[in-house]
Amino acid sequence: MVGALLASALLLLATVYLSRRATLVPGRFQALVEFPIEWLAGIVKGTGGKRWKEFVGLVIAIFMFVLVANFIGLLPGVGVVGINHAGEGGSTVIVPLVRPAAADLNFTLGLAIIAFVAFIGWGIRANGVGGYLKELLIAEPAYMTPLLTPIHLISELSRLISLSMRLFGNVFAGEVLLAVMLALVPIFIPVVFLGLEVIFGFVQALVFALLTMTYITLAIAEHRQHESGDEHTGHQPEEREASPTPGTA
Amino acid sequence: MEFQLLAAGLAIGLGTIGPGIGIGIGFSKAMEAIGRNPDASGTIFVPYILGLALTEAMAIYALVIGLILIFAVS
Repeated sequence: MVGALLASALLLLATVYLSRRATLVPGRFQALVEFPIEWLAGIVKGTGGKRWKEFVGLVIAIFMFVLVANFIGLLPGVGVVGINHAGEGGSTVIVPLVRPAAADLNFTLGLAIIAFVAFIGWGIRANGVGGYLKELLIAEPAYMTPLLTPIHLISELSRLISLSMRLFGNVFAGEVLLAVMLALVPIFIPVVFLGLEVIFGFVQALVFALLTMTYITLAIAEHRQHESGDEHTGHQPEEREASPTPGTA
Repeated sequence: MEFQLLAAGLAIGLGTIGPGIGIGIGFSKAMEAIGRNPDASGTIFVPYILGLALTEAMAIYALVIGLILIFAVS
């Protein structure tokens, strides 16, 4: 929990500091911060459909929060420095002062619940309560409803579980992996795995944000297919132009 | 209790086989696509990451089962 608080404090400080002295032509530090945000906003713009501006803030906030929390978890001393505490059977257990935030299921579950509420909320906003429930409970050929509805419900719920457990599992496994590697080979080899964990921290933050975006986009777009089929062919020519024809060398 | 630990180990061990193969296939196809058309690497990246995450979810379910076997079943 302290790790998550540190991450949000860091983000808040950075926000206040940067928004005070933000300039139109970015300086070196401002460009460093703006680069990932603009990159992610570009991705959301490309895949988020027409209403991408509504949820781009949420996606970027989740990305930055998870990214900073993951990187704080990799700093030396985190998860190691702690207070001795009486454990089970008279042994002493070190309770760390700061743990990697995402190595705690409460943190990831909280984020996943935010994402869950967000995509259900956007689904209801786009389709109305009745439309959303109809989408959820009644399958496309009506006679398939008793078979498909439980599957649909379970898949909605499993998004919550898989979102939270993915981040938790990766960060927790990374922490355990680093500890085991340090115990096996104390010199040089753990550095490789630390580098791997930096990549994983980035990828997992990206995955969490992108999945949230995809779920929201799906919740909004489910409506469109019923209304008119021609709406989502609108921005296809752009994508075609961006990718040239495969070279046949 | 011993068998619970064995079952948890087997669950995560066997459960990672399928996602491992799946992620390998996905990665090889993504590399193939980038090799054919290097300009499209930016376009391929996001769907690739999403597919990777969804494939990985199967391994996550195995992890959940393993954790349930160790901590929740007594």
